[in-house]
Amino acid sequence: MDEKLVEFSNLLRRNGVRVSLAESMDVVRALDLVGLSERATVRAALRTTLVKRGVDVPVYEELFDLFFSGLADAIQDLTSKTAQALEMDDPDFQRWLEELARRLEEAGIELSPLARALLSADGGTLERMMREAAERASLEDIQQGFQEGRFAHGVAAELGLAGLAQELARLQEQLAAAGAGDPRLEAFLNRRLQDLSEMIRALVRAQLQRQDVTRGDQQRMQALSEKSFYYLSEEEIRRMQEAVTKLAQRLRNVISIRRRRARRGKFDPNDTLRKNLQYGGVPFRIIFDRKRKDKPQVMVLCDVSDSVRNVSRFMLQFVYSLQDLYSKVRSFIFVADVGEVTRLFEELEIQEAIQAALHGNIINVYAHSDFGRAFKAFHREYLAAINKRTTVILLGDGRNNYNLPHEWVLRDVQQRAKQVIWLNPENRMTWGFGDSEMDRYAPYCTVVEECRNLNQLYRVIDRLVAV
Amino acid sequence: MFRSIDDVIERFSAQQYITNRNIATVVYLATEMKKPILIEGPAGVGKTELAKVLAAALGHELIRLQCYEGLDEAKALYEWEYAKQLLYTQILKDKISEVVGNAPSLREAVDRIASEDDVFFSDRFILPRPLLRAISSEAPCVLLIDEIDKSDTEFEAFLLEVLSDFQVSVPEIGTLRARHVPLVVLTSNNAREMSDALKRRCLHLFIDFPERAQELEIVRLKVPGVAERLANDVIAVVHRIRKLDLKKAPSISETLDWAKALTILNVNSLDEQLVAETLSTILKYEGDIRKAQQELKDYVQLQRAKLKTPRPEGDKDVLH
Repeated sequence: MDEKLVEFSNLLRRNGVRVSLAESMDVVRALDLVGLSERATVRAALRTTLVKRGVDVPVYEELFDLFFSGLADAIQDLTSKTAQALEMDDPDFQRWLEELARRLEEAGIELSPLARALLSADGGTLERMMREAAERASLEDIQQGFQEGRFAHGVAAELGLAGLAQELARLQEQLAAAGAGDPRLEAFLNRRLQDLSEMIRALVRAQLQRQDVTRGDQQRMQALSEKSFYYLSEEEIRRMQEAVTKLAQRLRNVISIRRRRARRGKFDPNDTLRKNLQYGGVPFRIIFDRKRKDKPQVMVLCDVSDSVRNVSRFMLQFVYSLQDLYSKVRSFIFVADVGEVTRLFEELEIQEAIQAALHGNIINVYAHSDFGRAFKAFHREYLAAINKRTTVILLGDGRNNYNLPHEWVLRDVQQRAKQVIWLNPENRMTWGFGDSEMDRYAPYCTVVEECRNLNQLYRVIDRLVAV
Repeated sequence: MFRSIDDVIERFSAQQYITNRNIATVVYLATEMKKPILIEGPAGVGKTELAKVLAAALGHELIRLQCYEGLDEAKALYEWEYAKQLLYTQILKDKISEVVGNAPSLREAVDRIASEDDVFFSDRFILPRPLLRAISSEAPCVLLIDEIDKSDTEFEAFLLEVLSDFQVSVPEIGTLRARHVPLVVLTSNNAREMSDALKRRCLHLFIDFPERAQELEIVRLKVPGVAERLANDVIAVVHRIRKLDLKKAPSISETLDWAKALTILNVNSLDEQLVAETLSTILKYEGDIRKAQQELKDYVQLQRAKLKTPRPEGDKDVLH
């Protein structure tokens, strides 16, 4: 069992559950205490010792089922089916098996360990032998469904299936010669041989499933983080949303900790001396130098034109989270006009807000992008709201339909603002080609980042928070 | 200690705490393996209660350490009672001058005082805080460290040290070792993720909202005199509401409050009006209440529609 537990711990680790050595040792102790008789108890004991994060629980549950149901149940199942086929119920079958063993002994026939385990329906031993054979056949290397047959052969060869067939045939003759013939014996021996192949197949299939879980999940996550916003299915969008929300939560934590530290402040000797003059210079009241909280002010301009339609949904979601996060965020969307959506985002739930923003309630979203015109409008209406504490974030591809770029607006903005960040969903290689005006805009930005997928967004956000 | 998992369930239910096999297994293992339990889960599912019941079931004393932001060693472990020390030195001035009195030199006087300073740094002047009390307790005890997620990471690191060997060194006195390893229960609302090191030392228990049947049992147990129909209605509504996307889902204690309130109002079954009026006992945010009201309206309509549909013919025949 210990080996099996180690194997299970490894399986968990491969699936992203952190299991330490100390914890694997705890499992062994825990199982000693509660015993193995009840599946639910074992499940609870393993979970409490191995899985310490809520997010890992579903993974654990899935793997537990995969790992601990498989072989033992299959062996049990096949054995009772054999008994049924011979038209015996369980106690009858057991008696018959004992009878068989006695007869073998009388006839002085020595069986190989495998044959003995198989014929006496010793599930535990059989399972152990099969696992050992699987290891020798390096079953863990199995990758694809079509390899099932090949690996099954490998395990069978390691187990000595061919030898077993001969042995059983010989056994039948010997028993017949000893005058202990039984019509059921022939059927029984044939069934058992089939059963063993069936068990091997079950073993291989279980391994394959386990492998699928391991690889599949890793690949899914990897693929999702690297995938561009442009090509997402509904399901992936949902998972992406979860990730963005999580991200926002992490941001909130980081920021609250930083603010807390700042609040405590440092000891201020000058002020302390001055304040304590009235007590004859005895430092009676300690004065701390409490920093004034420099609340970040953020202005976000999000392009919602057709060319970035798929991305803008996510960008807006990012904007929404941002607004939730910082107290002073003003959000704008633009195509050819610019419109403020701060109130909208404050009042509505995220999905409704995004829906409203994307469906032309604020500005005409079906116009052709005109960054220049939108910037000019922004300059006229909102430039006064920018001060040296403001971070301006622009989300857009910079594709201007060959209109006037009016990059001087950005210059003015940059002069007033703390920083200007431009996140562009387009591949950096394509910037400046065609109607892309990125080359003109980029000089006036503090940070220009390509931000097409979650990984890039993570990086950008880390940098944002560090500012 | 407990004899078996079933024993845990039994003794907990004697304390009016209804538990499932999963929780009982963890509790049993923790008592046998002498490991702390880290309990996580949404607010109000009985995390703190579990520790209290555990103490009561074992007949141990419960020592509670409530964590908060800025909690430090002085508040958690021990503190010298400076005021008391000062008071004593003032009162004992004569005695001190007697000791120091005939010293030939200043150095000699300081040495004499120094040789006596263990009088002032002794058990007498130490103010034990929960952790030290748990460690120095004569009898076995249950130590509840509540809302550990509220504490700072520095404190968590310090706690780790205490939890791993259950000994504390006080520089002036020496090392104090626990006579009995206390049974430690940590609770967390997951305001932040606890460090892996801490989790590794603990058994982990996630308590979620109970199943319908289990919660019904809890309501029956904790709200004496609740009408059977009312209890069913309350649980049905609460479970429905929990499925909504709310700022704060109603907890078990709020379910109980609601059932109690309705029982006091002498209500036997819920109706739409009543729910609308008393919904504020289980939901604490305006937005949540609005959402729940909408949901319940839909639900009631659905129920009504079901009632109106005529019963199938077969049924009638059986009745007549």
